[in-house]
Amino acid sequence: MTTTIFLQQLVNGISVGSLYALVAIGYTMVYGILRLINFAHGDLLMVAAYAAIFGIGIFSNPWIAFPLAILITGCIGVLLDRAAYRPLRNAPRISLLISAIGASFLLENLFLVIFGGVPRPFPRPDFFARVIEIGGLRIQVLTIYAPLITILLVLGLLYIVYWTKAGKAMRAASRDFETTRLMGINLDRIIALTFLLGSCLAAAGGIMWAMKYPQVNPFMGIFPGIKAFIAAVLGGIGNITGAVIGGFLLGLGEIMIVALMPELAQYRDALAFVILILVLLFRPTGIMGETTVE
Amino acid sequence: MSDFRGPAGAAQIQGNLTDRQKTMLNAAALLCVLGILALFNQYGSEYHVRILNNMAIFVTLAVSYNLVNGVCGILHLGPNAFVAIGAYTSALLTMSPAEKQLNFIINQLIWPLSVVQAPFALSLVAAGVMAALFAFMISFPVFRVRGDYLAIVTFGFGEVVRVLCNAAQSLTNGPLGLKNLEPYTNLWWSWGIAILTIVSITKLINSSYGRAMKAIREDETAARAMGIDPFRPLLLAFLISAFFSGIAGGLLVHLITTVSPTLFIFTLTFNLLIIIVVGGLGSTTGAVVGAMLFAWGGEALRIVENPVDLGIIVIPGIPGMRMVVFSLILMLVIIFAGHGIFGRREFNWEQLARFLSRGGKRVGSP
Amino acid sequence: MSFFEMRHVIVQFGGLCAVCDFSIALGAGELVGLIGPNGAGKTTVFNTITGFITPTEGDIFWQGQNIAAFPAHRVTASGIARTFQNIRLFGDMSVLENVMVSFHFSMESNFLLAMTGSSKHRGLEAEIREKSRRHLDELGLGHLASEKASTLAYGQQRRLEIARALATGPKLLLLDEPAAGMNPIETIELAALIRLIRDQYGVTVFLIEHDMKFVMGLCERIKVLDYGKSIAEGTPAEIQKDIKVIKAYLGSGYHAGG
Repeated sequence: MTTTIFLQQLVNGISVGSLYALVAIGYTMVYGILRLINFAHGDLLMVAAYAAIFGIGIFSNPWIAFPLAILITGCIGVLLDRAAYRPLRNAPRISLLISAIGASFLLENLFLVIFGGVPRPFPRPDFFARVIEIGGLRIQVLTIYAPLITILLVLGLLYIVYWTKAGKAMRAASRDFETTRLMGINLDRIIALTFLLGSCLAAAGGIMWAMKYPQVNPFMGIFPGIKAFIAAVLGGIGNITGAVIGGFLLGLGEIMIVALMPELAQYRDALAFVILILVLLFRPTGIMGETTVE
Repeated sequence: MSDFRGPAGAAQIQGNLTDRQKTMLNAAALLCVLGILALFNQYGSEYHVRILNNMAIFVTLAVSYNLVNGVCGILHLGPNAFVAIGAYTSALLTMSPAEKQLNFIINQLIWPLSVVQAPFALSLVAAGVMAALFAFMISFPVFRVRGDYLAIVTFGFGEVVRVLCNAAQSLTNGPLGLKNLEPYTNLWWSWGIAILTIVSITKLINSSYGRAMKAIREDETAARAMGIDPFRPLLLAFLISAFFSGIAGGLLVHLITTVSPTLFIFTLTFNLLIIIVVGGLGSTTGAVVGAMLFAWGGEALRIVENPVDLGIIVIPGIPGMRMVVFSLILMLVIIFAGHGIFGRREFNWEQLARFLSRGGKRVGSP
Repeated sequence: MSFFEMRHVIVQFGGLCAVCDFSIALGAGELVGLIGPNGAGKTTVFNTITGFITPTEGDIFWQGQNIAAFPAHRVTASGIARTFQNIRLFGDMSVLENVMVSFHFSMESNFLLAMTGSSKHRGLEAEIREKSRRHLDELGLGHLASEKASTLAYGQQRRLEIARALATGPKLLLLDEPAAGMNPIETIELAALIRLIRDQYGVTVFLIEHDMKFVMGLCERIKVLDYGKSIAEGTPAEIQKDIKVIKAYLGSGYHAGG
């Protein structure tokens, strides 16, 4: 393998990893507070992609369409919590998880019913589609923008979580749900905010994903969703920084392993799970996770 | 079927049935089922027979899935892997070497599978054993974790197996799958296995082993303090569940006569989850009823996905509608009726007798 | 060697010493209490004995072996049973089934016999059912056998936990705050029950309790724990006079008004 191809893959890996990271944050935040794997989280990617397609169709300006799509997806995330999870706050955890699986299938198939199964092309704005050359490396600018946008968004999120009142309540809830409730904090609102933030980030990830792989269909969110979840576990679930690191590591690892051993390409989707299982076996709390005391 | 006694005293209202009477009733019920099957076998349309076969296979799958998820109370999301392994094992054993050569055009099937051929019955046993073997191999990582983590690990193994079905071409023929299997599965096979599964799993649940599983579901810490090593009952449930799921996989592919990796995607697990949740997590009766409703409802709902020709206009089918309905049902049940149809109750003759006599009185005295 | 002995047991949670250099010896048939202010590490001692926590250092000798590293189920199989501070019954199972679970680990059958409904297995099941009923009768719960465990009254649930622990056939029984939440009459009944268990079943009893009157009246010997350290040991009379004990309790705002 030449240096050029290696660098190409490296950049590509970081870029994919940044998208995993964006989606992973939503998983990790919801898990932190509700102890729930939000199975439907990956599908929000798909929702955002469709919303963006229609947004561009209407406004023909991505700078209006994309934020709008992100906001709509955020609201759908909140709606998801309201309809599928909030009624089950006091139910056994297994019920919550089953509801999440149901919600995921519902979203996918609802979109299938409404928009059909034929993949739609994603209108890539020129701003992201340009190709630049750096030292013999031909790179689509999106590949470079994705990690940068991710870092900006993460910094924004960290500001909210660490320096605002709502963010403090969020962290308190993830540490001790019951006590936070007793302190008179309206947990439903904090949880809704968590879903809003997580879903908006997933939407940003989804739009960039759709630009990267411009085939939008109702099931496109499943795999990036699963990978992002794995990234969240990898980084130590419940930990935002961990999720970001996990996302980058997984994206990079996946792409590099396939680049170095092309014969593994067809096993790529299984690879992430093997990584997950190994992590859970040897370091169940993830890379950044604290070792908890029972 | 079971000797679960409802709330205290309730059993004393009506005269209790003796074990002998219950055995007789069970035997009579079994004869009834066999009679119905014989009638359908003789006079039923192909459509009805197919639905009945589907029902039996889903009953087998749901009852064995419920053993892990309902009785042991863990959320295992990889039964599709067990079914897939059973399906491929059984299919590769019943196909003749000549047929295999016709199927495997891109990659050759590995020796010795390319030359062996076994009767259907043996292939089903092998299917069960292979699935159980797989369950054993993954049990260590699976049972090291609990709760959501266990769910995601089993889900992961399900996905890994699905990817392998596509990728391990010299074993599975990849995405092309296997075609032209002999249609060995008939009502006797499918219902025979279903009944065997129901009876043996019910006996297990009502035994000391079943109590250990339920104890782990109720409170794992307390179960450990009572001398139970949680790994053993969980492993047992997992293996038995895999065994019967593997057999069901063999039955399934010899019903539809093809094997394809798409049969074993997560949707299969999702369907099983709906069945046991709607039936009532932890109830074998619920699993049976849920599976039958599902197989029937799945057929009934097929009309919404197929185009309907009304002569003048054609209403196009809506793909995905069935799954929309199913996922809505799942969510509504779990949110508003968390216990499903049966909760954790089981069918028993005494309750049926009471129910009938009460109904009889109501009818008798206007 | 003593009947049961803990030697220099240390349990650390991330640098924090929950139990520091704890030693105790119990004689066969003794009735010993473990007391101390909240957070002193009493339940941690029980968790360590019963294998839910592996001690960082130290040994636990029981029946001629060091069980410090045993997992919980093996500790129970070796003859130590326990109850929990916050009652942990198998809520959705019947009272009888709760007790029957305790016989599972010692049952000599296998799952194939169970699944085929062999007569050998059915015989063993009937035997377990019979023994469990007897246990319930002896503890005055016989009439509740087919009730769901979660529907029992509080005091009955505590009793059932003891019945369930006894059914594992222990030689040493650990009771974690058995009188918590009981009314005075129930507490008196409980004390009688514990004496009966010791006398009739020949079981050594080691218990944690906050109710001083209960402990002082029941136990023959008392060990006092504070901040993970043993600060006193002796007869109830000695403990009541011990200046360190009084300090520990007063210091944590507790008034021993028993």
